[in-house]
Amino acid sequence: MKEMTPRERVMTALRGGIPDRVPWGEAAVDWKLQVRLMEGRVDFKPAEFCRKMGMSCLTNLVTIEHKRDGSEAPHRQAVRVFDFTPPWIAEMAVDDYSGRRFVRKGLLTTRDSLKLFDSFLPDPDDPASYEDAARMLDESQEDFAVFARLRAGSASMLVSMGIDQFAYNVFDQPDFVKEAHRRFSEWSARVVEHLNKLNFDFYWVFDDLADTHGPWMDMTIYHEFFQPYQKMVADAIKKPWIFHSDGNILPILDGILTLGMDGIHSIQPSAMDINEVKRKYGEKICIIGNIDLDYTLTQGTPEEVDQEVKERINYVGRNGGYIISSANSLTEYCKTENVWAMAEAIKKYGKYPLTSVP
Amino acid sequence: MIQKNLLFEEMKKAAINGERDLVKKYIQEGLDQNYTALEIIESLVPAMDVVGNKFASGEFYLPQMMIAARAMSEGIEMLKPLLLPGQTITKAKAIFGTVKGDYHDIGKNIVKIILESGGYEVIDLGVDVAPERFVEASKKEKPRFVLMSALLTLTMPMMDKTIKALGEAGIRDAVKIGVGGAPVTQKFADHIGADFYADDAPGALKKCNGLL
Repeated sequence: MKEMTPRERVMTALRGGIPDRVPWGEAAVDWKLQVRLMEGRVDFKPAEFCRKMGMSCLTNLVTIEHKRDGSEAPHRQAVRVFDFTPPWIAEMAVDDYSGRRFVRKGLLTTRDSLKLFDSFLPDPDDPASYEDAARMLDESQEDFAVFARLRAGSASMLVSMGIDQFAYNVFDQPDFVKEAHRRFSEWSARVVEHLNKLNFDFYWVFDDLADTHGPWMDMTIYHEFFQPYQKMVADAIKKPWIFHSDGNILPILDGILTLGMDGIHSIQPSAMDINEVKRKYGEKICIIGNIDLDYTLTQGTPEEVDQEVKERINYVGRNGGYIISSANSLTEYCKTENVWAMAEAIKKYGKYPLTSVP
Repeated sequence: MIQKNLLFEEMKKAAINGERDLVKKYIQEGLDQNYTALEIIESLVPAMDVVGNKFASGEFYLPQMMIAARAMSEGIEMLKPLLLPGQTITKAKAIFGTVKGDYHDIGKNIVKIILESGGYEVIDLGVDVAPERFVEASKKEKPRFVLMSALLTLTMPMMDKTIKALGEAGIRDAVKIGVGGAPVTQKFADHIGADFYADDAPGALKKCNGLL
């Protein structure tokens, strides 16, 4: 088989086909880990990082150089230029140690709080919101598949309301839940219409709907409170796309698939059996995941990583339609040697036809 | 007048279905018929086990479980002031927090609600709780249970550190320690010497009940 470009590899797998190799795509790679993998360098471009690792999807995390006030020395800051997720409507706090922001409390509490949409969400039609991304997309991306990060409204509604309040509101104020979801989805759909004009290869849509036990809603609630609004975003999307949720979404997966995505991520191993997903859905949809982040990449050995990658490729990679990935994203606390072991194992076992298949 | 068994059964059913107004109506009927607050509560609390089983089997999802827990809690709150001196309905006290470095609290908050509806007093220490805060709260509150949650592999070792800190403070054996959260496993709980691991909120309730 002729050697494909990383982009061709990803797009072939997303269509359910068999590329020349199993592509590797990560939804995100923590900046500190990227620097460790680049042996302390901070001046690299995303494409250089992807090339070095053997990844096919261009990570959205890049650095920009700017001068701090009062300082002549340029400062590099990690930013997500290709991130088009809406802000949470929530009270935020910052961890003093890591500088990470986290949600302290959702602010969508009553119908009256819907007015917060006006102050929290930026104008989706502001051209300035897309300028950095357009400029970067015009630069050479070396044939990597470039994606934009989005939401379809669900995670935005759940986090901004608070999951416990959502649970009560489904019964107490159903119209409020629907209206909050609709507004987030409407915003994302509008954003997508602008993104469709840019040179992204695909979209990665992040909407956690579940924990390891199962989804936070049954199929009836999903169809009434989620699907119609997610569909607004899905209908606006004019490129291939991947849907992401943590946790066990199997009980509502048939409903989610009605949105018409091309791939499903992340098939968290502690929550879902990827082999079962492959058996039931492998003919219909590309599967992305599920190298374990709870143990293998973070606490395991390079040998265990090698074994897990081999098993995934052998079973899930069979007949194509598979993009290998961690079971969420490559976090700062992944062991560097294990990420290298993952890279090596993908190279070793990932070439089609899969010679390691017994 | 509804017979006692039937009344209590209907009240339990209403709680399971999350019909809080109906639960309160049946409680009032029970009180009007001179049943004591304690016997009404004792007939109500087992409803949470039924809810837990329905959640485990996939018949109930989060919204159904949460409104049932709310109906239970509101029923209990209505009855608490009517308990006689010396009567208590609190099964035990628990302190609960997401460990240091971890800011995830969805799971913790759900477990807290379910434990409270199951008759526990839960002191919520919040997120990013350092080992010394668990120790301090344990000394102050003298809980039966110390419960810890973590969503990140990165922060799981804080559970180990907290258990060690409780040991160094000489109070490890005075409490039962429970751990949970997405990356946490039974194996990990055994490794760090926790008393139990639960993989969801009803599971935590069941484990606590089993250790009373």
